[in-house]
Amino acid sequence: MNLQLPKEAVVIGTKAHPPDTKAFKLRLRNDNERLELRSGQFNMVGLPGFGEAPFTFSSPPQADGSFEHTIRAVGRLSKRLMRVEAGETLHVRGPFGTAWPLEQVKGRDLVVVAGGVGMIPLRPFLLEVFQKREEYGKVVVLFGARTPGDLIYREEFDTWRRQPNTFLHLTVDDVPPGETWDGHTGVVTGLFSQMEIEPANAAVLTCGPEIMMRFVARGLLLRRFPASRIYVSLERRMKCGTGHCGHCQLGPKFVCKDGPVFRYEELAGFPDTLL
Amino acid sequence: MTNQISAGVAGIEQIAAWIELLRRDYEVVAPVKTGRTTSFCPLSDGLEVGWDYTITTIPPSKTIYSPQETLVRFTRTEEGYRAEEVVPEKRKRILFGVHPCDLHGTLVLERTFLGEMKDANYASLRANYLIVGLNCQSIGEKCFCASMGTGPFFGYWMGQGPPRGCDVLLTDLGGRFLVETFGANGVRLLSGVEASPPTPDDIGEKLKREAAAKERFRKSLDTRDLPSLLRRNLNHPTWRITGEGRCLSCTNCTMVCPTCFCYDIWERVGLDLSVIERIRVWDSCQDERFAEVHGGNFRSTREARLRQFVCHKLSYWVEQFGCYGCVGCGRCMTWCPTGIDLAEIAAEIRADEERK
Repeated sequence: MNLQLPKEAVVIGTKAHPPDTKAFKLRLRNDNERLELRSGQFNMVGLPGFGEAPFTFSSPPQADGSFEHTIRAVGRLSKRLMRVEAGETLHVRGPFGTAWPLEQVKGRDLVVVAGGVGMIPLRPFLLEVFQKREEYGKVVVLFGARTPGDLIYREEFDTWRRQPNTFLHLTVDDVPPGETWDGHTGVVTGLFSQMEIEPANAAVLTCGPEIMMRFVARGLLLRRFPASRIYVSLERRMKCGTGHCGHCQLGPKFVCKDGPVFRYEELAGFPDTLL
Repeated sequence: MTNQISAGVAGIEQIAAWIELLRRDYEVVAPVKTGRTTSFCPLSDGLEVGWDYTITTIPPSKTIYSPQETLVRFTRTEEGYRAEEVVPEKRKRILFGVHPCDLHGTLVLERTFLGEMKDANYASLRANYLIVGLNCQSIGEKCFCASMGTGPFFGYWMGQGPPRGCDVLLTDLGGRFLVETFGANGVRLLSGVEASPPTPDDIGEKLKREAAAKERFRKSLDTRDLPSLLRRNLNHPTWRITGEGRCLSCTNCTMVCPTCFCYDIWERVGLDLSVIERIRVWDSCQDERFAEVHGGNFRSTREARLRQFVCHKLSYWVEQFGCYGCVGCGRCMTWCPTGIDLAEIAAEIRADEERK
């Protein structure tokens, strides 16, 4: 098997998440194949001529074999992807990397902390928890973004809040003129005081800017959340997804195959990280 | 247990005749002298081999893992681009006259590309190579393979197991060569060589020459507890002083290293867009953009990049692959324009810790 050879994936639907993000629902062109993905993993998604980049799945595994990527326009490839519509083809390799610890955190209370597009990899985890809601304890979601308009998946918040024993707290950094916001403002760690949760039985899952995850992890450690159950999902430059191109290395870890989901304590003491 | 199964002694003319025989079926890539430098090139004559070289600029492992290689070709069809793998050219080659440090360089590199996730292109290329080693008696001033357990004679693989990765091994006994084979490929390769059985004196001469070669090292690297030593000193001032004060970010160290595996992926787009090739090119952790992501760069300073290089080779690698990423060939410091020396950095850190 050639891990460098991409598979064709047909876009079967798109959904805009204004202002700069778009979701793509895909299925492999070859009906006999399917991606055995797990929430938290990623694909290398490519468009010939524009390159390839890692994108996490934004939905959990689907019975029909389809999968979803939600992509924000920041680079050459992702900006070009904004013009891709249903019927077009992307080239994907994967799934690669580690997944969220859905099994390991069963029975625990969950604190899910997302920053901006960091919610994208956490959404499939949340949806899987909601599918088997009784197998998990209390769920507290803390979500911060730059502006109210950057709170991605806001159209799903009501559904999430209706889940039993589930709480969603939001915050934004800034409210631009013309937008309204009567919620919390400030960094996401400012929401810690709003959650009612017993640290000893909890697990924490976080994704967002690395500097945010630093303060989330350290803030929750100070609140006596156990270091062994704080999970982070990291971003690094990646070209291969297979631990060969070297770009994603963080100390002895290859973020593409040892991560992107790590236990926070695995990464303690390494340089070249903001954690 | 050793899988060394036969040995013989042959004169240099017989070796040259053997190379000519090999050249009928293989491209023989061997050290060839050009002016004052030696490099691995395809031989056009068995007499061209530069037997007494110390080190080449580009290591022989990088003959297999080349600077640029096409991985995937996209061809435009009415339904969009179709991807096909690009299978490397199936040309039978022999890497000839490889010193033990570089034999290990190939073995170390393979722990990346032929590990749990295999690189199909590398695997396909490697399958076409046989390797003829040459025990090294030309110890250079930057050589420290003896410290890393990789030379100067080919013995146990970094102290971890029987010799692998070498099909035939040559030892210059002074105008004639001891020829040893490892495994079935070696025996097959050697079937055409005219050699006489080695006498006890020949074996004694090999041991004498190995001992003499070991005496000639002027450089060493103390590997006791080295991975942890570096892990304890990720904030040592030498990273800043050497990195910011001397490193030019020229990437030479990584380009000449036999074990460096990092690559970038580019796409080569035909002008009419009918064909797009995805190619890999060597990349370097010393390049400023290597660890850049949207909105930031995890190693924006030369301090961070130098620490990454040295700690990767001498510390992280052990955790990743169970061996050092350094074989002691001395290339990185030889081709560093400012003479940055990873063995000196390790020694400096050790000395500082011992003083505490």
